This record gives sequence, C-alpha cells and structure tokens, in this order.
Amino acid sequence: MSGPSALPRGRHGLTREAVERSQRQRLLDAAAQVTAARGYEETTVADILAVAGVGRETFYELFEDRRACVLAAHQELLDDLVAHVRAAYEGPGDWVERCRATLRALLEWFAGDPALGRFLLVEPAAVGPEFHAIFQAGFDRFVAMIDEGLDDDLPDPQPLPAASLAVGAAISRVYGEVAAGRTARLPALLPQLTYETLVPFLGEAAAREAAFAGAARGAS
Amino acid sequence: MVAACAEKTYAGTTIADVVSRAAVSRATFYKLFNGKRDCFDAAATHCIDRIALTVAAAASGYESPAEATRHGAAAMLELLAAEPELALVLSGDVVGVDPGLVERYCAFTVPALEGIWEREGVPPPKHLSPGLAFGRAQLLVFHEVVAGRPERLPALVPDIVYLAIAPFAGHDEALRQARLAGAEAAA
Repeated sequence: MSGPSALPRGRHGLTREAVERSQRQRLLDAAAQVTAARGYEETTVADILAVAGVGRETFYELFEDRRACVLAAHQELLDDLVAHVRAAYEGPGDWVERCRATLRALLEWFAGDPALGRFLLVEPAAVGPEFHAIFQAGFDRFVAMIDEGLDDDLPDPQPLPAASLAVGAAISRVYGEVAAGRTARLPALLPQLTYETLVPFLGEAAAREAAFAGAARGAS
Repeated sequence: MVAACAEKTYAGTTIADVVSRAAVSRATFYKLFNGKRDCFDAAATHCIDRIALTVAAAASGYESPAEATRHGAAAMLELLAAEPELALVLSGDVVGVDPGLVERYCAFTVPALEGIWEREGVPPPKHLSPGLAFGRAQLLVFHEVVAGRPERLPALVPDIVYLAIAPFAGHDEALRQARLAGAEAAA
C-alpha cells in the first residue's frame, strides 16, 4: 500500500474536504507504517506526524488520540485485505477454484508486505481491551464471506462449523509465518492450506485432489 | 493478574490493577515478582498447569486414543466455560506477549496426543500438523469467549475433537469421533 504524498505548499486549488481526506489518509498510512516497524508501545504521535508530514493540530482535529488513529489504520488495512480476498472469492470458476484463488490472494497479500502483516495480526494485542472486539469482528467477517459464497451442492459437513475451521486454519498458518518473520514462504504453503481449509467441506479424497493434484495442474 | 488481563488485556493492565484485585500491597508484589511481565509469566504458567492437569485426569484410564481425546476435550471446555478468564489469557494475551509461552502451552498437548497415537501404532498422515491444529483449537475457543458466550464452549467439543484427531487419524476418523462426541454431549 503506497499512500498519497504530501500536498504542494501554497495555493493548490483543493477544497477543504479534499485536503482533510489527504491528511487523514497520510496519517493512517503513517500510523500503520510506524506501528508495524516499532510496535504499538513504542509508537508516539510525534513519530506518526513526522512520517505523515502533518501538523499536530490537524492530527487532533481528526483523531482523539494515538489509539484512535492506530485503530482506524488497522480497520482500514483489514478492509483492504477483505476486499482483496473477496474479489478473488467472487471471481470466475467453480467453488473449489474460487477457494484456491482466495487462499492464493490471501497468502500473496501477506507476503507482499511483512510489516503490514505484523501490524494487522500481532499488534492489536498490544493496543488494549479493544483487541477482543477487533479479533471477533475480523473473524466473523471472513466466516460470513465464506458462507455467503458457498455452493448449494456441497455435502453437509455436520457437525463441524466448516467455515470457522477454514478461517482458523488460515489465521493459524499466516499468523505463525508472520510472527516468525517468514512471510516470503507464505505463497508456497498454498497446497497445504488449501487442503486444511477444504477437507472439512469436501472430505479426504476431494480435498487432496483440490489441494495437490488440482494445484499442480493449475500451475502447469 | 489473570482476572485483570481478562478484563483489560495484558497491555491495558497495570500493577495497580493486580494488587488491588489481589488485596496485597505493592511492596509484597515486588517481593514476589520482578514486575508485570514476571507476574504474567507465572500466572500464565499456572493456567497452563491447571488445564494440563484437568485434561490429563479426564483422559486417563481410557484405552483408545480417540476416547481419551474426547474426554480430555470435554473436560477442558467445561473448565474454560466455568473460568473463561483462563481462555482469555492463554489464547489472547499469551499470543501477544510471548510466543514462547504459546509453545509451552502447545507442548503439554501435542506430545501427549502424539504419545497416545504412537502406542496404537497409527502412522501420522502427512497433511495436517498437530501444532497448527492446536492453534486452530485455541482460535475457536478464544472467538467464543470474546464473543461473550463462554457458556457455549462445551458445544465446541466436536470441533475440538475433530481438530485434535485429524492430524493423527485423518479426516474420516476425526469426523466420526466428532459425531460421537456430539452424541455423547447430547446424551
């Protein structure tokens, strides 16, 4: 994610709203960048201002405090991830192909910027009690997304909540690699993660086919 | 410490929160612990031990690994339903504070499961990792607790049984055991 650059000084003919939008966006990008690099505890409003090139007074017109700014940045980043994987899930192909595309999009998103992945998954725990609600809402968004796009002819995975298991599988995998600083190898985990995600929906044989045989054919 | 973290998370907890809940003086706190982190580590270790003992007691005496897993999972979820703060600290705070503690938490579960399956001579399938399954189980529990539904934790028994058995005996056997666990819970 590359943010907008600072506006030109002096007369620029932009409306007040456009200026405010630009400043807000730069602050959000800076908050994500600084928190990802230093951790939430070590991040100060001054750091965010320096990277964003925005004044303190403007900051406090837009956000109540550091926490509010970092939480807004987190929300925006999560929205970006959801939009990115949703686009893949709503893409062409049958359900299994769409699932594979979704997981590929997810792994590539995290591999693209290791620091932002850390900010998204690891830092919320340092922010405070808001962490619980952030975790729950994020988890539920992905479960709802999977459920909305399910094929009607999938076998009933009772008694398992297959969508929750799928989201849990993806978070466990990605979190483990992000926390260990090994995001570069995430895309290589696609077959493995495809299997873990699909097996509660499809059963053993079909999940293996989708994850290993199907992926090999898709790559050739 | 556990109660304070459950309410305010580790990041939001102060020594003042801990000593006021424990009704001890700050001087006593510093005689026992070097600081907030030291006290948290001790508290988390205590939580891990409690869960480990509960699971081991419930699982002992069952011959088959699947049966031991079903009873162990049910006992663990009952304990967490009664004391959701254990789940909040172990699945939430521990993850942010120190991945090493997660490994210690994982370490009582995974080798124990591996041990009981090895005795059966069941070769592990290569597509699922028990360590990851542990993480997934933790996420499901944490999700239910932060959603404010700890009383519904026992309903997760089939899911946890599935996750705990699939890496060792494969999807089909895990699903069969999950159904069985669901039927046991309903009975």
